[in-house]
Amino acid sequence: MNKLLLIMAFLVSNLMVSYGQSTPIETGQKAPEIVLSSPSGNMISLSSCRGKLVLIDFWATWCAPCVQEQDELARLYQMYHRSVFTNGTGFEIFGVSLDAKRADWEGTIAKKHIGWTQVSDLKFWRSPVAKAYNIQELPFNVLIDGKGIILAKNLHGEELEKGISKFLAK
Amino acid sequence: MKVKVLIFSLLALSAFAFALSEYPSQGGGDPWTAQQLLNPADLAQTLKNQKAPQPIVFCVGMQAVIKGSIEIGPAMVQENLDKLKQRLDKLPKDANIVVYCGCCPFSRCPNIRPAMQLLGSLKFTNFKLLNLPQNIKVDWIDHGYPMNE
Repeated sequence: MNKLLLIMAFLVSNLMVSYGQSTPIETGQKAPEIVLSSPSGNMISLSSCRGKLVLIDFWATWCAPCVQEQDELARLYQMYHRSVFTNGTGFEIFGVSLDAKRADWEGTIAKKHIGWTQVSDLKFWRSPVAKAYNIQELPFNVLIDGKGIILAKNLHGEELEKGISKFLAK
Repeated sequence: MKVKVLIFSLLALSAFAFALSEYPSQGGGDPWTAQQLLNPADLAQTLKNQKAPQPIVFCVGMQAVIKGSIEIGPAMVQENLDKLKQRLDKLPKDANIVVYCGCCPFSRCPNIRPAMQLLGSLKFTNFKLLNLPQNIKVDWIDHGYPMNE
């Protein structure tokens, strides 16, 4: 029986390694600073959002699920933009695109009427930001508080809204 | 006896899951065979060894990250597929060709299938798909393999 348990433990650990995603971006840590250009050419820093609850949304126009998710992000942005949270006043989305072509990036922002901050270095997967945040796959996001501390990562669908709303001030 | 059956079942399940995780594109009717998947480490080694015969490497995705590769553009766009065909028309059918995209996991990459289908339909005999099951970052850039400037 002990042998059986040992084999099962081995198999489970194997599966975890196969599917797991290693990352040094952990909750409780400070989110690495991002300073990148907006479509109009202004350099915008993540730290300029200090004081607000911020969702850093890593996306690209070539990532179909990312583009699809923009509608849901727009809804959450509308709903929580002016809300007061226990750890920040107001909700902001800091969109970081891993696009390679400016026309694709700007075209989708216009088509989707994306109204929140958008930045990119147009370096595709070679962007230093992809390395700094150890992004393994898109879509990927990180939720940070008013002090820039990571609260959660890679929340999507219902989990994302729950992850935001649970910090609403009573 | 029951324990043995259970162990055997778990081993079989584990092997199956491992195979799925390693080769997510296999078995789904994709237009390539396991033999046509080129290991990134092997291509990196070939690119580093300038005395070795060099393949013609086409990027059919967003950006030609790999050193010496030719940017065609996303093969999901017919215009780019036509561009690839024009390039291929100038090559012998036994040319050593490698294609890659690397935007997304193989399972949802929109570019590699049209490109591989085109090569097959044009009766090329020596073409491979670079095995980037996750993306170009995880399977190439993070390994420090040669990149275009």
